Parts: sequence; C-alpha cells; structure tokens
Amino acid sequence: MLLPDYYEFCCRVKLVAGHDALEKIPSLLAAKGARKPLVITDKGVAAAGLVDIVSRALDGKVDQSLVNDSVPPDSDLKVVHELARLYQENGCDALIAVGGGSVMDTAKGVNIVVSENATDLMAFSGVGALKRPLKPLVAVPTTAGTGSEVTQVAVIKDHVKHLKMAFGSYFLLPDIAILDSRMTLTMPPFITAMTGMDALSHAVEGYYCLQKNPLSDAHALAAVSLLYTYLPQAVSNPSDRDARLSMAVGACLAGIAFSNSMVGLVHNLGHATGSVCGVPHGLCMAILLPYGLEYNLHKREEAIGGLLLSMVGSKLFQETPEDQRAQKVISLIRKLNEDLHAKTGGRHARSLNEVKDRDGKPAVPRDVLPEIAKAALLDGASVYNPEETDYEDNLMVLEAAWEGKPLDRAKVRKG
Amino acid sequence: MKLESLLSFTCPVKINSGNKALEGLPFELTGLDATKPLILTSSKETGPKAIKTLLGAFGDSKMTFGLFDGIDEAGDLGLIEYLKNLYLKNRYDALIALGGRATDAAKVLNVAVSQKMADARLFASEPPIDKPLGPLVVVISAGATGLETTSWAHFGNRVYRSEYLAPSLAVIDPRLAVCRDAAAIACSGLAAFGRAVEAHGALPENPFRRAYSFAALRFLCENLPAAVSNPSHRNAALAVANAAAMSGCAFADGGNTTLHKLGQAFSGTGHVSAGEIMAMALPHILEDYKKTGGFDLAGLLHPLADDNTFAKTPENDRADAAIGMVNRLIADLQNIAGKALPRTLQETGIPGYLLEDILEALDADPDGARLYSIAQRMKDGVPSDAKKG
Repeated sequence: MLLPDYYEFCCRVKLVAGHDALEKIPSLLAAKGARKPLVITDKGVAAAGLVDIVSRALDGKVDQSLVNDSVPPDSDLKVVHELARLYQENGCDALIAVGGGSVMDTAKGVNIVVSENATDLMAFSGVGALKRPLKPLVAVPTTAGTGSEVTQVAVIKDHVKHLKMAFGSYFLLPDIAILDSRMTLTMPPFITAMTGMDALSHAVEGYYCLQKNPLSDAHALAAVSLLYTYLPQAVSNPSDRDARLSMAVGACLAGIAFSNSMVGLVHNLGHATGSVCGVPHGLCMAILLPYGLEYNLHKREEAIGGLLLSMVGSKLFQETPEDQRAQKVISLIRKLNEDLHAKTGGRHARSLNEVKDRDGKPAVPRDVLPEIAKAALLDGASVYNPEETDYEDNLMVLEAAWEGKPLDRAKVRKG
Repeated sequence: MKLESLLSFTCPVKINSGNKALEGLPFELTGLDATKPLILTSSKETGPKAIKTLLGAFGDSKMTFGLFDGIDEAGDLGLIEYLKNLYLKNRYDALIALGGRATDAAKVLNVAVSQKMADARLFASEPPIDKPLGPLVVVISAGATGLETTSWAHFGNRVYRSEYLAPSLAVIDPRLAVCRDAAAIACSGLAAFGRAVEAHGALPENPFRRAYSFAALRFLCENLPAAVSNPSHRNAALAVANAAAMSGCAFADGGNTTLHKLGQAFSGTGHVSAGEIMAMALPHILEDYKKTGGFDLAGLLHPLADDNTFAKTPENDRADAAIGMVNRLIADLQNIAGKALPRTLQETGIPGYLLEDILEALDADPDGARLYSIAQRMKDGVPSDAKKG
C-alpha cells in the first residue's frame, strides 16, 4: 500500500446503516440536544411516500417535526432563505434532509443561514469561510449514488442573479448519515442502474486518480466490492432489501473515497456532457467510466488491475494473469453496462449516441461533441486525472464514447 | 460481503500526514476558529528536539501560543485544574498535544475548559460528556500509543470515553514520527497491530470500520519489521505512525476489547508497554477465537497478506494462514528487537506482587474468566497451539 508524500483524509459523519436505521434518528438527535427537526425534501421524494416513512420513524419520539417539500430539482437561493425562515419561526433545532443532491445542498445552505444568522449567504461561499460547527444535520439519501451525505461541499444557485455559489468546509459535512434500505426500494431499475454506476465511478476514479491515499483506497475497494456485486441484483429485483442496503453502504463508501481523493476525466467529461446536453449525471458516468480507465491505463495499470479482486473475488482474480487484470476490469465494467442495458429494457444507454431526451430524440447529437470537449476544459476535475488532457484528447474520448467503441489506445498521448 | 441489519461507525478525526504536515497547523487552527493554542507535551517523553520542531512549524504565522512541557505519568487531576486555570486566564482557544501521554491529559483538559468546570479535581468519575468540546489537535510522535485518535482518555487510573473526546485533527509529520528507538517503534506498532486485528475480525462485519483496519494492517505488515530493524528508515516509521492513527480510528468505534483491556491493565499498573502485552496475548486470543468462533479469522488474511497470496489460499485454509501470519510477524519482531521485546510476562520483570494484583483486577472484570485465562498463559509463557502449528 502506497503512502503518499502528503495526504489528508476526513469523514466526520456518524454513519448508521440498516433496514430500520431511520428509527435511530430520534435518539441520535437527542444525543445532539435536538428535539424539533425541520425535514427538508422535494416533491418527488414526498410523492414516492419516502417522507412518510421518515415521519413514522420520528412520530412521537421528537417534538412535532415540520416537513417541507419545496426543494426544486436545482438548488435555489430563494428557497434556502424561505426554509431558513421556516426553521427560525418555528423554533427548530435540527435539519433532516431527505433526498438527493439538490436536497442535501439546500439543507447545507439552510444550515449556514440558521447557524450563522446569515442574511447574505454569499459571504460564506468559497472554501474555509465557515469556522465553527453548524446546527445538527441528518442526511437521509434516497438514491444510492451521489454520496452527498458524506461530502463537504454544497452548490446553491441564485436564479435571479444567475450565479452559482459553491461552499466548501468540513463543517458542511452532515453530522449523521442514515442509510436505510426503505429509501431506495421503490427506485425504478433505470434510475437504480445509473445512480449505481455514478457511485461505482466515484469509487473507481477515486482509486486511480492523483490524490488517492491509503484511506481513500481502502474505502474505494470496499465500495467496489459492494457496488459491483449488488447493482445487478438491485436492478433485477428492486425489492431486494439486502441488495438495496448494500448499494446504499457502497455508495456511501464511494462518496467517502472520492471526496478525499477527488475524481478525474470521467467526471470532467461527464460534468460537461450534463451541462451542454442535460444528460443525467449517472448516465454520463456509466458511459464514460470504461473510457476513463482506458485513457489512463498506461499510467495506472497496477491500480486498475487491483480492483479486480474486489469485483470478482479470488477465483477469477487468480485465473487472470497479472498483466491482463486491468483490461479485465475494463471489459467487466463494459459488460456491466451491457447487462444493465438489457435489464432496463434498453433505457440504460451504453454509448452517448444511445442517450435519448424526453421526446425520444438523441440527447447528444454528434456535432455537439466539440462543444462538450471545450466545456470540459473549464471543469476542475481534469486536475486530478493521472494523464493530462486537452481539447483534442477530450474530443477523442467523447467520439469513442459516442460510438460505443473501445478507445484506440494507440492514439492516447502519453505525457 | 453480507451486511448485518444495523451497523454504525464514526471517526471524527481528520488525518494530515506527510512532509511538512506540521506547517499546516496554523491554517488548520484558523479553520477551527482558533488563534491562540496551548501546546501540551512531556519533554521527558518527546525530547526537546521534537518540541523545537513543533514550535518551528508556527514560523511566520504570527500565531501566539503557550507551551506546557511538564505532563507527567502521575495522571493527577490537580495538574488539570492548574492547566484549566492557565488556559482560561490566558484565553487560549485550542489545545495541541504532542505525544501519547500529553494527548490523554489534553483530552481531559479539553472537557474541563470547554465545560468550564468549577474544579477539575472533582472530575474523578466518568462524567456525561455530551457536547462538542473545543478544538484539539494531536501530533503523533514516534512511539505513539495508538489511542491518540480514539474517543478514549486514560488518565491516572481513570478512563473516560465519549465521542467528543476524539481530537479534531491528527498530524503525522515524519520529523516527529521517526526516532532511533527500535523498541519504542516495535511497541507502538504492536499496539496498533493488536487493535487493528481485533477491529478487523470483529463481527458483525462493518465495512466502514474495516476500511481503517485494512489500511492499518497492510501498512504494519509491509513496514513494521523494516522500521524496527532500521529505526531511521523514514518511510517505514512514517507508515507505522499512520497505522497507529488508523488503528485508533478503527478501535474507537468498537467495544472495550479483550486485548485492549489486557494492554491497559498491564501498562497502567505494571508499567509495561501495551504493545508488548498485546504481542504476548494476541496469539492466545486468536487461538481462542479459532475454537469459539465469533471472529472473522479468514477475512483477516486479506489485509495481512498481499492480494495474490490471499486469493490463492483456499477459503478453508485462510483462518490458519491468518493466525500463522500474525504469529510470524510477532515472532519476527521479537527476534529483531531481542530483549527489548519480552516474550512472556516473566521476561517483563513485573514484580510478583504486582502481577498478582493485575491478575486479581482482571479476574474482577465482567469478562474476567477469559482475561484471567489468557493472562495465565502469558505468565507461564505456554506456547499456543496455533504457534506450534
């Protein structure tokens, strides 16, 4: 195991996982001196009945909790301030965020406002502006993918001024993350597939990108083992509680890994594809992951090959010659995408040209690839990629991913 | 990996490790809203050079700090009361502990100053520590106890435990993690090894805890013999210090384990290092686990061996292979360190009357029969069955 010249690692979140983990919230809040939480969620999560499950777990064990489902798909500064007012007017003393990335970001923003009595959230943007612990925040993720229950960042959009504010601080880490299998039992196979691949991309990129360290590695390996094993099961049988719990834990482990090691080309191009074409992030990750591995293979062959044992176990690992293990990892991830494509009736796209918009039209026309390649140059994730990238490199990878053909590695410039 | 129905894990400690990690202290303290730390250490334990290196890290930061280098072994709450008054009078706003002994004192002091105790000398029984405390940074020194990163404090004959006792930050800098004392590195590494083994094999399996124990065990297997053979081997010593910090994180979330109880009983009363005791006890404990079950001996092989060795070992043979590797590592270290690392309780030189006191105290523990049995085997130096194998 390599010890870098320097590294930092931190995950202060209390992690509680189980089929009935939600029932632990009242006692966990009490231990933090809190009894009146504001539950923040979005309409989709509320309509799926997930907040009802949370409310039942709280019922009678905390002072009457308030539930608000006004979080939009994209975090919104106005909503942050409205929720903060609701919190303050009702004498709340903790926050429970039930949902995905936008809900988590919104809850983190609300927590800054109510903890710091902030009138201008912008004053706390950037890294390191927060100096002390905030109010207790419980994160209840409803997708096994983003890992935002263990990340120290939040992005809030000011839709009036057209600003995107980023916040980074260890004080933004939720105090508690509740990983409960009931929160994902109703997630459709198509969504399960892409959010699961999002989590897998966090673990895999976290394992080979430049800021990797021994603790992020150990979390990544555990994540890969759970995610690769249980994702097909969760997609095939959405009501498999054990598979759902394993996915939730795997995604959380992956979140811990990548938030400490950072990510690279896959996220770099994925962010740009999402931004230019509106393709769901998880789907971008699923499609681009094999290409990121191929692009970096010459620099990270041993690390990539090291993932094989976590993926397939001892027998196949032992049977695969050492110099073929990295290639095997890449082919297995491609095969996983194929399997997910089959299991979702074709909704899980295997290449960018298979991605459709809501009207069934191609979401990523080939002629938009140069724009994506250019947009990726502005994304910070490229900094942590083992091999350098420029516009031409981005375009080469995007074209291969669009066609769904393996990357011609002879064309990869080796820096 | 099959997950149990409910699991939890917390490690509130941030780890900063590597070159010039100390120089990041002013920045880290500022991030914790602290501008005037009080540094606690024991000049006897850490030596003047280590203290000078730590102070030098504040260089041009213009940060004001205080230094108290008189932490002793006594574990006297009167000293905590004195330091509490010093801290409050001078308006310090954070604590930095250098060395294991100072860390325990700093954890107790942090409660006293954060809760503004009227009289810290009355802090004799386990109090409710249920609120976040002030910023505490621990600097891991050579010969770390491995308990620095835990939510435990052992002070005198008192034991305190609360998630809030754990430090906010652990700094591991090669300038302080490397020393020339092979025995100190061996004892530190063995304590870390013992705690990491118990954390990794504990059931039900917890992947969050195992991430820390996995990394700790890999580092120790790959580096501890080299660090003990050649104490000036910078990278090996740094890896051992990292493993000590990681093992503390893995251990912190578990229970008061058999090995920990034995280590603390002998180091507290018998003044023998916990690492020496754990090295003596671990083979017996694993041997017992092999008979009784309730411990994932087979799963222990993966962090102890490299991936290829683990993969090619048939599943039915992994438990024995793991025990064999543990025993070999301990025997190797005992061979390298020679008399500095005793193999039996007799060799430690603990006086008979003290030994009897310790055995009596162990016997009174709720898990007394087991602890007593293991201690007897350590006392008699009976080689375990597993060792014979």
